[in-house]
Amino acid sequence: MTAAALLTVADLASFYGRAQILHGIGFTCAAGEVVVLLGRNGAGKSTTMKSLIGLVRPAQGRVTFAGADITGAEPHRIARLGLGYVPEERRVFAGLTVAENLDIGRQAPRPGLAPWTPARLYALFPNLAAARDRAAGQMSGGEQQMLAIARTLMGNPRLVLLDEPSEGLSPLIVEQMAEAILALKAEGVGIVLAEQNLHFAERLGDRAVVIEKGAAVWAGSLAALAADDAARQRFLAVGVET
Amino acid sequence: MVGGGQLLLSLLTGLADAAGLFFVASGLTVIFGVTRVVNFAHGSLTMLGAYCGWSLISRLPPTPLGFALGTLATMVLLAVIGAGLEIGLLRRVYRAPELFQLLATFGVVLMTQDIVQWLWGVEDLALRRPPWLRAFVRLGGARFPRFDLIVIALFPLVFLLLWLVFTRTRWGRLVRAATEDREMVAALGVDQRLLFTSVFALGAALAGLGGVLMLPDASANLGMDLTTVTDAFVVVVVGGLGSLPGAAAASLLIGLLQAFGIMLVPRATLALVFVVMAVVLVLRPNGLLGRPPGRGGVLGEVRALVRPAPHVLRWLGLAALILAALAPLLLGPYALAVGTEMLIAMLFAASLHFMMGPGGMVSFGHAAWFGIGAYASAFAVHLLAAPMPVGLLLAPLAAGLIAALFGAFVVRLSGVYLAMLTLAFAQITWAIAFQWVDLTGGDNGILGVWPARLVAGPRGFYWLALTLAVAGTLGLRAVLAAPFGYTLRGGRDSRVRAEAIGLPVTAIQLTAFALSAAAAGLAGGLYAYAKGSVFPTYISLGHSVDALLMVLLGGVATMSGPILGALAYTGLYDVLLSATSLWRLALGAAIIVLVLAAPEGIAGGALKLWQRRRPA
Amino acid sequence: MTRGGPEAPVLAVAGLAKAFGGVAAVAEVSFAVARGEMLALIGPNGAGKSTCFNILSGQIRPDRGAVYLNGESVTGLSSRAIWRRGVGRTFQITATFASMTVRENVQMALISHHRRVWRFLRPARHYFAAEADALLAPVGMQDQAERAAGELAYGDLKRLELAIALANAPRLLLMDEPTAGMAPAERGGLMALTRRLASERAIAVLFTEHDMDVVFGVADRILVLDRGRLIAAGSGAEIRANPEVRAVYLGSGATSGGH
Repeated sequence: MTAAALLTVADLASFYGRAQILHGIGFTCAAGEVVVLLGRNGAGKSTTMKSLIGLVRPAQGRVTFAGADITGAEPHRIARLGLGYVPEERRVFAGLTVAENLDIGRQAPRPGLAPWTPARLYALFPNLAAARDRAAGQMSGGEQQMLAIARTLMGNPRLVLLDEPSEGLSPLIVEQMAEAILALKAEGVGIVLAEQNLHFAERLGDRAVVIEKGAAVWAGSLAALAADDAARQRFLAVGVET
Repeated sequence: MVGGGQLLLSLLTGLADAAGLFFVASGLTVIFGVTRVVNFAHGSLTMLGAYCGWSLISRLPPTPLGFALGTLATMVLLAVIGAGLEIGLLRRVYRAPELFQLLATFGVVLMTQDIVQWLWGVEDLALRRPPWLRAFVRLGGARFPRFDLIVIALFPLVFLLLWLVFTRTRWGRLVRAATEDREMVAALGVDQRLLFTSVFALGAALAGLGGVLMLPDASANLGMDLTTVTDAFVVVVVGGLGSLPGAAAASLLIGLLQAFGIMLVPRATLALVFVVMAVVLVLRPNGLLGRPPGRGGVLGEVRALVRPAPHVLRWLGLAALILAALAPLLLGPYALAVGTEMLIAMLFAASLHFMMGPGGMVSFGHAAWFGIGAYASAFAVHLLAAPMPVGLLLAPLAAGLIAALFGAFVVRLSGVYLAMLTLAFAQITWAIAFQWVDLTGGDNGILGVWPARLVAGPRGFYWLALTLAVAGTLGLRAVLAAPFGYTLRGGRDSRVRAEAIGLPVTAIQLTAFALSAAAAGLAGGLYAYAKGSVFPTYISLGHSVDALLMVLLGGVATMSGPILGALAYTGLYDVLLSATSLWRLALGAAIIVLVLAAPEGIAGGALKLWQRRRPA
Repeated sequence: MTRGGPEAPVLAVAGLAKAFGGVAAVAEVSFAVARGEMLALIGPNGAGKSTCFNILSGQIRPDRGAVYLNGESVTGLSSRAIWRRGVGRTFQITATFASMTVRENVQMALISHHRRVWRFLRPARHYFAAEADALLAPVGMQDQAERAAGELAYGDLKRLELAIALANAPRLLLMDEPTAGMAPAERGGLMALTRRLASERAIAVLFTEHDMDVVFGVADRILVLDRGRLIAAGSGAEIRANPEVRAVYLGSGATSGGH
C-alpha cells in the first residue's frame, strides 16, 4: 500500500440483477503506476471496472479516488473527477467523425497535468491523424481501440481504466498499443489494466491483482508473480502445456 | 383534365401538409433517437399544443405579432410539460424493456385525453380568424391561403435550424453521441439526465409548434392525438428512425402524395399513406435514410428461460377451467356476456403473444386479423347465407391466408419497422372497411350476424366461446412447446445460430405469423356472432393497442401472461367504465403504476415472487 | 462437379475472390484442409479472414472461385445447405439460444439434423434428449445441462457451441476466433479438447485466431492473409521466420508470445 494511492478500492461487492458478481475486491493504484487485473473471463474484471466508473452500482465496499469517496456516485460525476474509462467493446460513436468523437470526451484541463489536445493525441496515435474526418464506424478494430483511448484522454484523466485493450488485435497493433500506454504512464497517469494477454500484461504492469470468481485472490508485483510458479499454476494455469 | 393552376395548388397544399407533418415528426424522431422510447404520447403533446395555443392566442391581440408570440409561448409551455413528463415518468422507465416504455406513454395518452376534455370540454375549438389569417394569395388563377405559405416557409427554416444545432454545437454532438450509446457518454463525464430532459423538451416544443400551426386551418379537437401520432410514426419510420433528414424527406414524400392522391384516387386516400409506407419498408427495411439498429434490438428484449408450467399452475388452471365451465349455472346473462368477451379477449391476446413473445415480432396492428375474421364471418352470413360453423371456419381461414401472403413482407423486417408495417396493414384494412361502403356498410357496419339457434342464448354461446377460446389458447401453447415453437424462439434468440444449424427461420416465422393471425381471426369471428354485428372499429388502432396492453400487462416472457393479462385488462376496463366518467384517466394511471411497479407484467411478477420463496 | 476419390481433402478452396464496393476483400485464395488436420488462418484485422469464413459457411457468395467439400462443389450454396453437408461453425461472439437450457440448445441442432423441425404437438424437450447428453459429455457440460444458456460463463458457452457444432456429425469445423475473450488457461483447455475431438472423429478444423500461443501451439499448418491475399503458408517455424509475416502481422513478438 502506498501512501500516495490515487485510487483505493476496498471490499467491493456488486450484483447484476440478483446474481452477485463481485465478492470483495480490494486494491490501490498510484499516479504513474500500472496495476493489472488478471483472471478468467467472467471472473469479474469488467464488472470491477464498471463498478469503479459507476455504470454498475456497488452493493458494498468503498471506493475513494483523488481524496473523494466515489462509492455509488453517478458515472458523469466520477468521470469529471478525472477517472477515465475505456470499455472492452471500445464503444466509439460510429456515426461521428474521429474529431467529433474526441470532442465528446473533452473536459476542462486539470491542474498539474499537461492538457491533452487533439494535436497531441494525433501525435501519440498517428493512425488517427489521417482519419480525423472519417466516421469512427468505418475504422478497423485497432484504430477504434486507439480512438477509444484518445477520446478518454481528452477528459484529462488522472487515472484510466483500460478493459482488455489488446483483445482481438493483431500482434503488431498490440505492440503499438503497449508503446502508447507506456507513454501515458510516463506522463504520470495511473492505469488499471484488465488483461488476458499475459505477455502484454508483463510488459506493462508494475503490480498485479488476480481476480477469481469475483474476489481478489492474489496481489503483488508482476516480478513476484513471474517467480511464483505455484500462484501462476493455480490462478492462471500458465505453463501447464496441453 | 387538371389545369396548371390546380397542379400548383396541389403542390402548395402538399408542401403545407408536409411542413405540418415535419414539425411533429422531427420532435418524435429526435426523442426516439436519444431516448429509444417509442413515444405514443407525442400526439398528445401536439394536441396539448393546439389547445394551449388556442387559449393563449385567443387572449392576445389578433395580429401576426400576437400569433407569433402565442406560438412561441406555447412552445415554451410544451417544452416545460415535456421536461416534466421526462423527469416524472420516462426517466424511471429507461431501464425497462422498450415495450414497457411504450405502454407507459400509452398510459399518458389515455390520461391526457381526460385531462384535456376536463380542462377545455368536448367541443372542437376553432381559432377566431382575423383578416390577415383569412387572406388568400392569387396564384395562376387559383386562391391559396396566405397563412399556409408562411407554414411552407417555416419548413426549411426549422429544418436548417435543427440541422445546425445537431452538427455545429457541442450539445448537438452530445445528442448524436447519446443516440448511439448513452452509457458511454455518461462515462465520459456528460450528465445524460440533463441531455435527455433537454432533448425531450425540444421534441415537445416541436410537437407544440405542430399543434399551434394546425389551428388556423382546422381546430383543436379530442381526436387529434391518435391521428397525429399515427401520421408522425409513419413519417419517422419511412424516413428512418432517429434520422432528421429522413423525417424531412418522408414528410415531403407523404405530404405531396396525399395532395396529389386526392386528385387521382379520392376513394383510397386513407389507405394511400400506408401503402406508401409498406412499399418503402419492403424496398428499404430501415426506412429512406435510417441505419440498421446498432447495439441491442429496438423492440422486445425477452430472453428469460422458458420452462414448462409447474404442476401447481396446471392444477390451478384445471380448477379455473372447471369453474369457468360451471359459471353459466351460477351467473346471470350480463355476467355471462362479460365472460364471453373475456374469453374472446384471452384468445386474441394469446394469438398476439404467440408472435410477439416467442416469435419476437411485435405487432401494432393485430386488430387487422381480428377484424378480417369478424368480416369473414359476416360475409359468410350475408353473402353466402352460410350456417354458423362455416362462418366460424372461414374466420381463421381468411385471416390466416391473408396473413400468409402479407407476412412474406413482414418477416423480412424486424423491431419497430416490423411493428409499423403491421400497423400500416391494419390501417389499410380499416380504410377498406370504412370506405368500401357497398360491401362493408362503412361506418354503419354489418348487422344481423346471429349465431345458430343451438347456441343463441347467453349460456350456449358462452360454452361455445369457452370451448373454442380455450382450445385455441391451449393449442397455441402446445405448438410453442413443440419443435416448431422452439425453432421460432430460437430464431428470435439468435438468428445467426439458428441458421448456422440449418433451421428454416424465415419459413417458420411466416407460418407462425399466419397461425397467429388465424387464431386472432377465430377470436374475431366469435366476437362477430357474440355481438351480432361487425364494425370498422374492430380494426382500429385502439383495438390493436388493447391487445398489446393485455399481453404486456400479463407479461411477455411467460406463457400464462397473455391469459392473465386479458382477464385483468377486460376486468379492469369494465370496472372503471362503470365506476367513473374519468375512466381513461384512471386506466392510464393504473397502467403507469403497473409499469413502474411490475415491469415483468402480472405473470412475470408472480413468477418472481414464486422463485424468491423457493431456494434456487 | 466432382473431384472425389478417397484422398480428396475435406475442404478445398480454389481461386476464391470477393470484392466489396470495388475493394478486394479476398483475392485468389486457394488452400485445402485434410481429415483430422487443424489449419489456422491468421492475419491483420481486415485482412479478409471473416469474409473467407463467411464464404465457406455460405453467408456470402464469392465473386469468383470454388469451394469443394469432400470433392463436391458447394460454391454459393446457402448456409443451411452447407450445414446439411456436414460443416459445423462456432462464432467469434458466441451465439446460442439464451431462453433455452444447455440441453435444449443441443436438442435444437439434433432436431434440425434429423429433420424434425415441422412438428407441432409433442414437446420439443422429448426429442433426442439422450443424444444431446451424449454430445454434452465429451465437452464436459453434462452437469450444466439444465441451466439456461443465457446465464453461462463465457468459457462454458464456447464449450456449448462446440457441442452444438458436433450435432450433425460434421466433417469440417469452422471456428472464428475460438479463444477470443478467454483466459490463457481456458484457451489451452478448449483447443486441447478441439484437437482431441478432431482426431477422434476425423474432423478437419479451420480456425482464425489472434493468440499466437494458441496458433503455434495447436495448428498443424498456418495460412497468413494480408489485404485479401495469401502471403504465406507453412508450419509454425516457417511462419515465424517469414520476414513478410513479421512486418505486416507478428511484429517483434514481445507482447504476443510470438517467440
